[in-house]
Amino acid sequence: MNILQQLINGLVLGSGYALIAIGWTVLLGAARLVNFAHGQLYMLGAFVAWAVMTKLGVNYFLAVPIAVVALGLLGVGLQGLMLRPVMQQNLTSLMIVTLGFGYVFQGGAARLFGGDPERFVSPLQAAEIRIGEIWFTWQDVLTLVGTLLLFGALWLVLNRTRVGAVVRSVAEDPRLAQLFGINAALVYIGVFVFECAAVALGAGLVAPRSPILTSMGFDEVILTFVVVVLGGIGSVTGSLVAGFGLGLFTALFGALVSSAYTTAAAFFVLLAFLVLRPRGLAAR
Amino acid sequence: MTVHRLATSVALLLAALAYFVPAVAGGSPVAYAACTTIAILAVMSYGADLILSYLGEVSLGHTIFWAAGGYAAALLSVNAGWSGLPTAAAAVVVAIVLAVALGLATLRTREFVFSLVTYAAAVVAMEIAFNWSFLGGSDGIVGIPPLTIAVGSWRLSASGNDQLWPIAWVVLMATLLFIHRFRHSRLGTSALMVQMNPDLATALGIDARKVRLGVFVASAPISALAGWLYAYQRAYVGPDMFETYFLVLMLTAIVIVGRRLLLGPLIGTALIIVQQTFFSIGGDGDKIVLGSVLAAILLLWPRGLVGLWTVLASRPRVHGR
Repeated sequence: MNILQQLINGLVLGSGYALIAIGWTVLLGAARLVNFAHGQLYMLGAFVAWAVMTKLGVNYFLAVPIAVVALGLLGVGLQGLMLRPVMQQNLTSLMIVTLGFGYVFQGGAARLFGGDPERFVSPLQAAEIRIGEIWFTWQDVLTLVGTLLLFGALWLVLNRTRVGAVVRSVAEDPRLAQLFGINAALVYIGVFVFECAAVALGAGLVAPRSPILTSMGFDEVILTFVVVVLGGIGSVTGSLVAGFGLGLFTALFGALVSSAYTTAAAFFVLLAFLVLRPRGLAAR
Repeated sequence: MTVHRLATSVALLLAALAYFVPAVAGGSPVAYAACTTIAILAVMSYGADLILSYLGEVSLGHTIFWAAGGYAAALLSVNAGWSGLPTAAAAVVVAIVLAVALGLATLRTREFVFSLVTYAAAVVAMEIAFNWSFLGGSDGIVGIPPLTIAVGSWRLSASGNDQLWPIAWVVLMATLLFIHRFRHSRLGTSALMVQMNPDLATALGIDARKVRLGVFVASAPISALAGWLYAYQRAYVGPDMFETYFLVLMLTAIVIVGRRLLLGPLIGTALIIVQQTFFSIGGDGDKIVLGSVLAAILLLWPRGLVGLWTVLASRPRVHGR
């Protein structure tokens, strides 16, 4: 086994984890909301891009932005439906409601796109780069660069702009922010739309690695959760670091120990973390 | 006759009448299958109900206990030839051990962290069941013998749904009795107090963590016994017991009628299974129905159909004013 190859695999995997998780990090940090349909949104993002490509003959590089916009619009609709419990910050209800939405998406997607595995192909997936014994694809490069750019842009927006200040003030104290004339409902919708669009982008870049199924999405939720908790809930830079850390861990664990149990191993890392440092995570 | 005695008599009468529901519904194999399935899945839901209704937390890990009960029954009856009562005892023990472990690991977590850890635990448990040959791997365990219950010289062997129904009825009634006792027990009232007003509970000397762990551990064997019976009903267990279907069904069954109602999860399960058995629009269509009902109830009438009833009942008076 080539260690350098595994490190590269880990970085590529990790950038994918971070990219899929970023929407959740922002949602949790800025709106204190959780979305259990996250994995199904990932599935929908991949299938919308796939359907646009195969049924309409659209190019991959246009299909992914179309999927991002489509899921963003879906996000507006979903958040509109959930506005009452969101404004009441009724977390228990929201968790169950989003779980219900995820189940609807799963059934709906199976009806719409069929139950068979499909090939969602990116032209860059076949373009390999070989340097000596190590190899990777241009799709890997795109995922890595895309993730770094998105995280950079997000950090700048949250920390250096007026919009970022508004989002952070709502995260800090929604009632007080409303007293100062900030429309918290609008911020919640914006954050939720960002989550849906970001996970669609993640699906567009990451999903071409393997066949896509309408029943997928569970592993993505677990890995997202590990990234969000390890990175520190709501921390953008933290989740980037945690994403890369988890990517390296799963690449090495999969190569050295067992590839069938990587999700289980990631979960035990999370459990150990929760047992060792519970207070920092239990509640804000 | 006191009110208490009257209530007990009515409850016993209803319980006895419930036994004859499949016979009254035509006595066909479909009627027995539907009633047995309702009883099994309702008992499964009651496990999660203890957590959602009395602790106010959302456990997404109760499929672990449900599957543990099924796997315990399958492994011990197929490999060791155990009969029904010992496998039921084993299902309960396995569920308690798993619940203590998961309960201790999640003891300090709240809200979404608790839900996510229990959810992640269920996904990992499915991965283990799917890959570990001891548990049958992805094929599961086939050839579970008919459920045999032997007490002394008395023997009962049940294979079809019509023969399983009396056992399912007994398990369901025992569960209802347990939930009823729990609601009035010290643990049950403490759990409600911890949920409603944690500070007051602490001031009264209630250890919130002990209560949470206690309720979690008490809830696990209920779902496990349902899984135990489900294994005999299907004569098969497999990783599909971890499917989201069961999770969504539990939560929907609990919220559809209204939380913290003794008969709520039973009526909720019955509504869902009747839809899926007699008014099904295909597996994927049923998923859309179940998920939409779950979301719609919580978004429109968060207190369930009972809450809707209150709204409707009060409307004429509001108009009259």
